[in-house]
Amino acid sequence: MGWFSSGPKDESGPAKTSGGAFESPSRSNRKQCYTARDAFFECLDKNNVLDSINTKSGREKAQTFCGQLDQEFEKNCAHSWVEYFKKQRVVNYQREQTIKKIESQGGEIVAPQLPLPSSK
Amino acid sequence: MSVPSRAVARAAQSFECAAARRSFASDSSIYSSSQRLAGRGTQCLREAQRATISSQTARVSQSQIRSFSQTTSRNKLKTIDQIKARNRGGPFNLTAAILFVASGAGLWAYFTYEKERMARKRIAEQTKGIGKPKVGGPFQLIDQEGTVFSSDDMLGKYSLVYFGFTHCPDICPDELDKMALMYDKVTEQCGKVLLPLMITCDPARDTPKVLKEYLKEFHPEFIGLTGDYEQIKQTCKAYRVYFSTPSSVKPGEDYLVDHSIYFYLMDPEGDFVEAIGRNFTADQAAKIMIDHIKDWEKPLKKETRWE
Repeated sequence: MGWFSSGPKDESGPAKTSGGAFESPSRSNRKQCYTARDAFFECLDKNNVLDSINTKSGREKAQTFCGQLDQEFEKNCAHSWVEYFKKQRVVNYQREQTIKKIESQGGEIVAPQLPLPSSK
Repeated sequence: MSVPSRAVARAAQSFECAAARRSFASDSSIYSSSQRLAGRGTQCLREAQRATISSQTARVSQSQIRSFSQTTSRNKLKTIDQIKARNRGGPFNLTAAILFVASGAGLWAYFTYEKERMARKRIAEQTKGIGKPKVGGPFQLIDQEGTVFSSDDMLGKYSLVYFGFTHCPDICPDELDKMALMYDKVTEQCGKVLLPLMITCDPARDTPKVLKEYLKEFHPEFIGLTGDYEQIKQTCKAYRVYFSTPSSVKPGEDYLVDHSIYFYLMDPEGDFVEAIGRNFTADQAAKIMIDHIKDWEKPLKKETRWE
């Protein structure tokens, strides 16, 4: 189901290894992948789907609403990248929510920094 | 103070002046205790000017009795010249003000600069290991041309070391683009004194050929280093880099590598100087490096290692 079923091989995307990784992750290949990713995520946004990987319902919804774009995404990116970006989408959203929550409570966000040597 | 004694004090002032010029230790008993000894010199000058304006009569003194100040108020001066003459003698004028502000600003600038320089020196000194370096160390890898590249090839120049892998989805390419900007900025200001190194955490896939293809898209000067799994593991360990590459992978296998993402600035003697995190912009990072490079007092090789 979902993005695991690749069906008949479509060879129009960038060259990939048997394992689904890029042959060469060049700048143009990356750009192509990012474009496909953005299109897929835009579709998820429109259909109010956040998580398209971690839950069964999310995977099903993504497949129903954005199945075509998901296939494009899978075709243009290494499989590991697809998983990475889908998980990253959830993490980024949660991070934004946390930041908003802290800020609405009047807290301040301090970016984590390397400790200064003097503070040892 | 009683009225007569004030009048006497006033009258005695002209005599006192001459004495004050020679000695400041003159008898102060006839002066009010509030009158400052150091004020006498000025007072004397004013007296001298005033001598031509009005005579030292008791009436003048008495008219001043009601005021709490012993100095003549401005409205006693009759002409513009008199006012000018009086003001010229004061301790504050434009030249003094300019000198004061200028020297203040100069000192402030100097101390700020020195403070920053000392802070940088402290960072460089503290991160320098005694005996064995805390970060970094000897390694022997191969570059993207297939040539052996060891830690000795880093000596004589500053090095910017980045650990990454070519199959990295988004962070490494962004960081390498930033590294190219940083490198260009440093080179523009300091000359060719920086070696931009990218060491792969994924030696199974990142062969010299792959690295060469990959890095030329970022910057022609970048040096990509790879080796066998053990060599990379040792190098990562020396640089305190965490990485999650599996030790044995099948050809064509698709996986990601989790790794630390700091730039390591190493000095021309191979000692670690500072780690630069993702939160720095290219400009900020370049400034940090340029400042460290300018602090370096020993010789720097400006030519590339192949020359």
